[in-house]
Amino acid sequence: MSVLAVAGITKRFGPNAVLKNVSLSLEAQEVRAICGENGAGKSTLVKIMTGLYAPDEGAVLLDDKPLAIESPQHAQQLGVALVAQELSLPPALSVLDNIWLGNREVPLFHRRAALRRQARAALDKLGLSDLALDTPVSALSIGRRQLVEIARMLTREARVFILDEPTATLSDVEIERIFAALRTLKAEGKSVIYITHRLGEVFEICDTVTVLRNGELIGTRPTSEIDRGTLMQMMLGRSMSEMYPRWDDKPGGAMLTVRQLRVPPLVHDFDLVAARGTVTCLAGQIGSGAITVLRALAGLIAGATGEVSVQGAPMRLRSVTKAQAANVQFISEDRAGEGLFLRLNAGQNLIATKLRDYCRFGILARHKLRRAAAKLATAVGVDLARLRSPADELSGGNQQKLAFGRWIGSERPGVLLMNEPTRGVDVGARAEIYRLIRQFCDQGYCIVMASSDIEEVLGMADVVVSMYRGRRVARYGRGEVDRQRLLADITHPVAAS
Amino acid sequence: MSELAVPGRRSRRLLGARQLGLTIRVAAIAAIAVFALSTPGFLSPLSINALLTAISFVGCVAVGMTFITLTGNIMSLALGATLSASALVFLASLSFGMVPAFLIAALFGTVITAAQGFLVGYFRANPILVSIAALSLLLGGAAFATGGHRIYPGGAGIEFFKARIAGVPVNAIIFFATVIVGQFVMSWTRIGRLMTMVGSNPRAAIAAGIDITATITIAYAIAGACAAIGGMLLAARYGSADMELGAGYDYSAIAAVLVGGTGISGGSGSAWRTFIGVIVIAVLEVVLLLRGFSEQLQYLITGLIVLGVIMLHALGERRQG
Repeated sequence: MSVLAVAGITKRFGPNAVLKNVSLSLEAQEVRAICGENGAGKSTLVKIMTGLYAPDEGAVLLDDKPLAIESPQHAQQLGVALVAQELSLPPALSVLDNIWLGNREVPLFHRRAALRRQARAALDKLGLSDLALDTPVSALSIGRRQLVEIARMLTREARVFILDEPTATLSDVEIERIFAALRTLKAEGKSVIYITHRLGEVFEICDTVTVLRNGELIGTRPTSEIDRGTLMQMMLGRSMSEMYPRWDDKPGGAMLTVRQLRVPPLVHDFDLVAARGTVTCLAGQIGSGAITVLRALAGLIAGATGEVSVQGAPMRLRSVTKAQAANVQFISEDRAGEGLFLRLNAGQNLIATKLRDYCRFGILARHKLRRAAAKLATAVGVDLARLRSPADELSGGNQQKLAFGRWIGSERPGVLLMNEPTRGVDVGARAEIYRLIRQFCDQGYCIVMASSDIEEVLGMADVVVSMYRGRRVARYGRGEVDRQRLLADITHPVAAS
Repeated sequence: MSELAVPGRRSRRLLGARQLGLTIRVAAIAAIAVFALSTPGFLSPLSINALLTAISFVGCVAVGMTFITLTGNIMSLALGATLSASALVFLASLSFGMVPAFLIAALFGTVITAAQGFLVGYFRANPILVSIAALSLLLGGAAFATGGHRIYPGGAGIEFFKARIAGVPVNAIIFFATVIVGQFVMSWTRIGRLMTMVGSNPRAAIAAGIDITATITIAYAIAGACAAIGGMLLAARYGSADMELGAGYDYSAIAAVLVGGTGISGGSGSAWRTFIGVIVIAVLEVVLLLRGFSEQLQYLITGLIVLGVIMLHALGERRQG
């Protein structure tokens, strides 16, 4: 008997069917992964299962009985709880209030003590025992907010838990905590639907995996019976030889030198030398300072101090203009908030930083701009037909390509700083982004990227610098470090070198 | 559709968001046109002339306001007072000649509004609060300078503004020119594009190395120049000025901006759409007047329309989201 099932679901938006005759059924104590590229229909399926959309055809079944889920509230009532992909916590409210917000179980007159106790227990389960219940959510990092969102789910009385990319913003240690919480849920007899871009997680935590592609059900398999390659092939519809590009070592001279960088209160005395034509990865958990170091080098942090030089010339910190003048460019980890102009179209985003090259006396040469945008789009692999679409209608992968496109085509390749370059980017587009990064290297750029994804760091880096709580732990050349060592470095380093 | 399925209210909403907004807008304009054309006397030269003159004053301020809205700073409550003050400066300096007076007054409006823009851009001060402070300063400063008296022209030359060229009032020609120049700046110049980017996402603009202080300051400077132009047209028409001259123009201007379809959240806007907004409101007012509605009722109806447009906008944005 299945706990939750969908049978023959079809969903259309206008003429496009985003789900075509999709069926799946979930048993008790089953952890089911749903995989697929962006646009495969995963999120739409979740929205149907939680009552946000109604299917055009087909039915949702609970305990084998078809029934119409009318709204997310109704879904909660029926025992289906959702952790949304977008962070939806009101920032001004406390952690406690957020955990109980919208919970039907909360009585009109709060029994504060009981509510606090339950919230505390949920947070402790996720390893957040240091987090005070009265902290406003606005004071938390994105990763911690996501964990609070999970804690909120744990307090719900539900039989089926749906997690839509819960780990996109989390680091490995935090992901482990979520996994532990999921295992507890499973032991308690609950079922979980787990949507993720990270294939490693599928094999680590899930019993079965359902793959969608272009709205069609490709298949459901026990994870014990397939390997990564097979899963990837199911998702992409073709085999992908390699996630990470191969490359030859041809390091150039030192391009970026950082000495004694301090960013109070997080980063202390950070040193770095990065060479032309190489990828240097700062590997660290959220809160390790890796992202902060790059933000500071980009001129975005007011309190940063230290000596920075680019190709021997000193560069002033604390000014984006000065950083750009020194040929230091930055790709933000927060695409929507800081990376892109979401309401402008793709083409306008691509040429946002190049306007000066295409105007005379302040007047834009619009046809030249359009041509330049088309050229950049081709270079980064964005479909030319989408140049006029607003950036917020593009997938995460395409958005990231826009952010990349902004900095290519420069006659003087410089330093390119990137924070979490593949956050929220699906598998196929991820491989393209990695290829682009290597192309930048070949053109003579010096790439420094901060990442909390160990697999990505090991796959891409010429030089790995591990970080923990704002300090550098160690520096490794290519092939000098493995997964265990790096994980140990960034979680609880034995000795800081 | 299966009998199990619940009617897809939400999905259908997502579908036609933009088309729906556009349809409502076109239908509304058509309705107003029919309403206007069926009103006896609307097409008479007298009424058309009155219309053209009336829209020039508020129209200039509205084009200026569009720049402030475009850069993500909602609106300025000081543009009406800027209009009045520039009118005072214009009349007082007419003794230097018409052209110098024009330049002095335009410069005056530009500089005092640009200063507000600098505060908003550099200190990230709340634009509404800055404009309220500026309003207060302008009213106080003007009362101090004029002693609260009306100002009359200190020289000749304002007849130029009352003239007509090819039957079109000079007022209207200057307004049309303002619209055209405004639209040109917004969509054909680098600074216009920068304003759009700053309004769309200020944090992304900073990360992209755009000088947002300069961009916002320039947007405000243009707004100030536009308000000053409106002030001079108005002063010339009435042959005198005081600080009451521009009272309420900021509200009418933002109403026109919104009715034209510029989003209040910044990053979008066009002088052309504002022009449509100005016309729509003005036509409505004239028609209501010709049909014998009282002035109070006119205000009420205009208010309802602005409210409707704002709700339409909010609905549209929610649907797209």
